[in-house]
Amino acid sequence: MRHRTILEYRGYRYLKLSAFIVLAVIFAYGWYAYPLGHYGGTALGYTLGTIGALLIFWLMWLGVQKRRYRTTGDIKGWLSAHIYLGTSLIIIATLHAGFQVGWNVHTLAYVLMMVVIASGFYGLYAYLRFPTLMTENLAEDTLDSLTLKIADIDREARRLALGMADDINRAVLASVQETRIGGGVYAQLRARVPGCPTTAAVRLIKERSSTVKGDAARKHQELYGMMLRKERLVGRARTDVRFKAIMDIWLYFHVPLSVALIAALVAHIVAVFFYW
Amino acid sequence: MKTKLATITRNKKGQPASTEQTVASESLHIGRGADCKLHLADPRIALFHAEIICGVDGVSYIESRSGVVSVDGSFETAAKLKAGQKIHIGPFELIVLPPQKDVDLALSVELIDPLKDDVEEAKSHVTAGLKTTWLSKRTFSWIAGSVVLLIFLAWPVISALERGHGKAPAPKGLAADASWDVGPLSSAHASFGSNCSACHQLPFVHVTNGACEDCHKSIGWHFALETKEAKAVHTSVFGDSRCSECHRDHKGANGLVRTDSRLCTDCHKDLKTRHANTGVVDVAEFTRDHPPFKVSMLLPGKTGPAAIVRIQQDDKARYVEASGLKFPHDVHMSAKGLRGPNGTAKMECKNCHVKEESGIRFKPVTMGEHCQTCHSLEFEPKATTRQVPHGKVADVLATLQEYYAQAALTDAPIDVVLEDGIKRPGQRVAETRREAALSWANTKAEKISQELFEVRVCFACHQITRGEAGAEPAMRWQIAPIAITQHWLPKSRFPHSRHDTYKCTSCHDVEKSKKSADIAIPDIKNCRECHGGNVTVKDKAPGTCETCHGFHTGSPKAGVPPILPGSNQPKLLPKAAAASGDVYHTEKYALTTTNSAGGAPK
Repeated sequence: MRHRTILEYRGYRYLKLSAFIVLAVIFAYGWYAYPLGHYGGTALGYTLGTIGALLIFWLMWLGVQKRRYRTTGDIKGWLSAHIYLGTSLIIIATLHAGFQVGWNVHTLAYVLMMVVIASGFYGLYAYLRFPTLMTENLAEDTLDSLTLKIADIDREARRLALGMADDINRAVLASVQETRIGGGVYAQLRARVPGCPTTAAVRLIKERSSTVKGDAARKHQELYGMMLRKERLVGRARTDVRFKAIMDIWLYFHVPLSVALIAALVAHIVAVFFYW
Repeated sequence: MKTKLATITRNKKGQPASTEQTVASESLHIGRGADCKLHLADPRIALFHAEIICGVDGVSYIESRSGVVSVDGSFETAAKLKAGQKIHIGPFELIVLPPQKDVDLALSVELIDPLKDDVEEAKSHVTAGLKTTWLSKRTFSWIAGSVVLLIFLAWPVISALERGHGKAPAPKGLAADASWDVGPLSSAHASFGSNCSACHQLPFVHVTNGACEDCHKSIGWHFALETKEAKAVHTSVFGDSRCSECHRDHKGANGLVRTDSRLCTDCHKDLKTRHANTGVVDVAEFTRDHPPFKVSMLLPGKTGPAAIVRIQQDDKARYVEASGLKFPHDVHMSAKGLRGPNGTAKMECKNCHVKEESGIRFKPVTMGEHCQTCHSLEFEPKATTRQVPHGKVADVLATLQEYYAQAALTDAPIDVVLEDGIKRPGQRVAETRREAALSWANTKAEKISQELFEVRVCFACHQITRGEAGAEPAMRWQIAPIAITQHWLPKSRFPHSRHDTYKCTSCHDVEKSKKSADIAIPDIKNCRECHGGNVTVKDKAPGTCETCHGFHTGSPKAGVPPILPGSNQPKLLPKAAAASGDVYHTEKYALTTTNSAGGAPK
């Protein structure tokens, strides 16, 4: 059976719900002809504002809920609803504001909401795209199994290099001790590492292979093969780390901006009624 | 040389176990190379790391080759070996043991810094997951949320509460609550600037009507509230409506006043549902169902509310002006011109109808300013400087009598010659002569007054009936009361100056009017030629309710007359003024009447 994404959850249940809400809201907007034009302060404006605010609080509640969830039960359902209802906020909030913007806390809340939704879209894109790429990259492996394979190669390479020239031995040792996979934010997001000791060792061994003969040449060839394999394993491990980081990084925008949005939303609501 | 090597290994508890071997060689090669007698298989050791040489004196020396050697903590290229010395070669520690029999040198060898397990090593270099970095959703969230709350909530609230409400002065510089401003103020309120509390007087309370009325003291109700019924209807329709339900500010320079027709048609399209006894006709759309205009016309000789009559323009039988004057517009507007004191001249509308400074309506036409140049009140061709007063009949008669009596007397010699033939200066005229002169003067005055009232001068404009002969002078002739309506459509506004580009006669059809009974107020068709309706009509000017009508046109709340054009109601003469015939101007745009009985306009 084909894998069903969260978008298709239960026959697009939440797509249908959100589409219904959006169409109802658009219809109401067209039908409700307030003489002073559309804005947040009309009966429709208050209604849409209330719906929008409740949705935002509910979607935020999902975030809290997700962290607490013990059973995997219906987390897909929650997420599907989160995506579709979150998207419907674009229409609800825009019509709530009646397309009016300004340099104020009201538009700040609107802009924050849009940025949160945009980051959510990115998250959805990452969620839909990267797992496939990760599977392609890892095949049967996991990051741990890759690490174990690398460790195996390290052991063998080190043993083999003991009998070789000091610089090759040093290069192999450096490859064992200094090849980093992942690391800081930037290193994780960027799979290529300039001056990687493993790449340097591969290059050095390749250079040397042509200068030795006989048994030494065979050993060099063997070591070269090992290090080349290691280089590829390291590359795959780094790509895996990169995919994971990309799949995570948007949440570092999505979550704090959501909190900022809640703060701006509270300020927006207080401001409106403080100066009613 | 013979060297005893004791290789020490340790178990898990750290207890040492020693494996001894003796090697014989010329010198002791130390390194990871397979040919080294002290073979240290560790990648951190060079192929040929160092060499120990036994001197002729039986003393051993260590010399570094491709690797680094540390003896008792200091790096040496060559050092003499003594018992107890600790030599560090890479991860290995070599201790020089006390001299022993049969060997030149005894050394213990221990790997004190073994390589990490390869798996452990490899795993220690993997740092995956952003959680391992400095990024923190929690910290970011706290910062972002707190910054927004502080700047956009706490600061404005604290600042507003500190400043207090009401008429607090506007804050200088960047106002804390500037970020709360939903949009630019109307031009009328722009001067409030950032002083939000001028209108928003209490937190979490709607802008009150009181806040508006602090300045707008004289705003009118929607309709006059003089009767109990009117008050009841007003309460039931408007209840406790707030000003701000219609007047929404922060919508830009022109956004404060509703100009959409729904303001009116929501009720006026079906007014009976609001007020069953209403006399106001339903209107939903200007071009479709707006009824013909109703003029407010003054009736002559009446006082009080009865003096004003409302006549719909299609009520042909009643749509007749009864000003009490004769005035044929066609004669005055003749293309040939009119004969006047300065020769023949063609008259124009503006000769009599002079626009008010506001440009909205016209000043009253007065006898003195506009008629008398041609319609002189001269009565005696020999005395062109003398005119009868434009006023009461008795005054006219008195003037004539005075003039002719004086004429009779001044025609006689000043120094009277008496019957005895003796001339006596200063002597009073004899009774008989005086009587003769007075009799002549009275006869002449009577004749002339009949002429004035019944043939020419007064009769030219006024409707006059002769009273009984021998009646009091004031009752000799009765002049029909005058009622000149100054403001025909007081429930609408029509700024004439905005229509200056049109000829007067393109709307006011007076060129062929022969009678003063013709009313020249344009009808609704005339307006519809240029004005569209509530919905925008192509190639037409707007014609929403608000184009002509105001909302606050009822009696003013605080008793101050409204000053907006078109927002006033017709004003009646006070009884005393009406009776005396005085001209009564309440204020600029009020209905000016010259409703007089026996009097005349100034």
